[in-house]
Amino acid sequence: MNTGPKIPPIVLWLVSLALPAVLVIVWLRSAQAELNAAPESTQDVAVASMTDDDYCTADLKRVLRRVAGACGLLAGAGRGCQPSDAKTVAQMNDADFNALFGPMKDRTQIIQFDADDTTLDEVGRKAVEQAWATQGGASFFFVVSRASPDGNKDHNLELSKERAETVMKYITAQDPELEKQIGLLYLGEEYAQLSEEFCGWQRSRKDDECTTKDINRSAFVAWIDCAI
Amino acid sequence: MRFDPNALEDDTDAPTLPPVRAPARPFLWGTAGASALGAVFAAVSTRDFISHLDRQQHSIHCSLMPGGGASLGESGCRTVLMSPYSSVLRTELWGGVPISLLAFAVFAYLVYRSAATALEPRVTRRDAGYLWLATGLPAAMSVIYGLISTQALGAVCQVCLGIYISSTLAFVLAGLAFRGSEPTGGHASPWPMWGRWFAEGVVTVVALVGLYVAFAPKGAKDGQGCGVLAQTADPGHVLVPSPYSRGTSAVMVLDPLCPACRGFDKRLDASGLGARMDMKYVLFPLDASCNWMLTDSLHPGACAVSEAMLCDPNKAQQVLEWAFAHQEELLEGARKGDGPLRAELKMKFPHVQGCLGTNKVKAQLRKSLKWGVANAIPVLTPQLFVGERRMCDEDTDLGLEYTLTTMLNQVEGKR
Repeated sequence: MNTGPKIPPIVLWLVSLALPAVLVIVWLRSAQAELNAAPESTQDVAVASMTDDDYCTADLKRVLRRVAGACGLLAGAGRGCQPSDAKTVAQMNDADFNALFGPMKDRTQIIQFDADDTTLDEVGRKAVEQAWATQGGASFFFVVSRASPDGNKDHNLELSKERAETVMKYITAQDPELEKQIGLLYLGEEYAQLSEEFCGWQRSRKDDECTTKDINRSAFVAWIDCAI
Repeated sequence: MRFDPNALEDDTDAPTLPPVRAPARPFLWGTAGASALGAVFAAVSTRDFISHLDRQQHSIHCSLMPGGGASLGESGCRTVLMSPYSSVLRTELWGGVPISLLAFAVFAYLVYRSAATALEPRVTRRDAGYLWLATGLPAAMSVIYGLISTQALGAVCQVCLGIYISSTLAFVLAGLAFRGSEPTGGHASPWPMWGRWFAEGVVTVVALVGLYVAFAPKGAKDGQGCGVLAQTADPGHVLVPSPYSRGTSAVMVLDPLCPACRGFDKRLDASGLGARMDMKYVLFPLDASCNWMLTDSLHPGACAVSEAMLCDPNKAQQVLEWAFAHQEELLEGARKGDGPLRAELKMKFPHVQGCLGTNKVKAQLRKSLKWGVANAIPVLTPQLFVGERRMCDEDTDLGLEYTLTTMLNQVEGKR
């Protein structure tokens, strides 16, 4: 038999109701305050972007943007830059122009051609594929073609143009959409001739002898890891 | 011990009870104590649930010691709390109303009812019988939730275990109190009194739920999304079919070896809202071997699995389900290189032979990643775009059903 002071059941019930109610309200108000003060969930998360490598200095980007723009690459229209255009947009001497590509040595393939010829041979095709396969997050694939000083200047210009287009046709044979990623620059024999030093770079005919003339009968191909 | 409510109406004709009977009152106080313990466990669980309503990550208590074992990491308690079984009304309210809140209300009510019965001058069968019946509710719910926990979720939550034990204890002690209770006497039916007490219980639960709904945190951007798709077209044909193919167009940015993606996929499946979407996957492996946006691989091997999915988009779901099912072992195995994983993929899925690792499929995966660049998405997975709008990351777990329903209604309403 209970002999203690009688507590009305209604009081017990109200207490049993009030205690959880107060706790829940306090917790919910605290959560509301936290929610109001919470930062944007993704503000510290990186945003998806194409590669922008360390070698992409402001100078290099400026030149690439000018070249790409002049080639219609940025606008997505037009293709193939005249050598005079390249000189104008690059606004630098031959050696400085070639030096821009120095940091890309490991990603570059120099596709060699026979004299007065634009045929992409077997080793050339493999070298193009090898260069193409290393895209990663690069935005643009540049093809910079040249001709040796042998022969007529205008013929050499045409020759370098056809060499660049041969490489592009090979790449875009399976997917014409890829054209939008490829920038062509044909220099003929006029501008930015490669020195013999470039014979030491990755080239399609790596087992053959390499002279200054040989290395300039070529298309220099590389993905450019710069967000331009 | 057999319970017959009709026998409570008139004890004069009932068989004589054993002369020596254990007194009911200690068992009633025991029932109150067990209910109070259950209320503490339920309160801890409710507090953990509510803390997540600010849409941030928080530690969760996971211990049989009430209030102990707080941890931010994976635990059975986190699995249970994030599961669709942790709350009800999830499409009406962000996160829904936690089941633990209902348990909190019921246990608080049982504390009151046990104490009120124990404080009565006489502990009659009518009073103790009602209490015994009332304690049967949390006990039955404990059995149901225990089965869900072990069978459907494959996870054991220690705080829930505390609730199950408290419920069982309360039920047993209330039964013993009933056994020790005195005959009611008279011919009065117990039902009117039981009805009143039951109404008190209902009011307790409804009042707490009502307060919860009234005070539940509301975000300024609830259902608004976080960002939009800049490019809805798919010129690169990177969108991969998902099992959901009817309704509002949606895109899920996915990494097949991302545990969060697997969890999200499960929650989406359990929500049943996939049936309202024509959802496509965009593969975005967080694996530095193909994803140039990372310096270190978060999920090594994800590039290989993504390539396998892209080899034949119509069979991508098979590959994805396999990858989800074996995620931990695939991630572990690929830490030293994805060669063995590629071999296993070719063996499991013969259709990827001649495709996996080729420049063509690698180029396709690159296009998939570039879809992310074109849309300037955050480098994280999973992400869900409903129509053109991106679901906020904080809405992908507890708030999934509410947010997705809201976003789907908005898109469907515009049609």
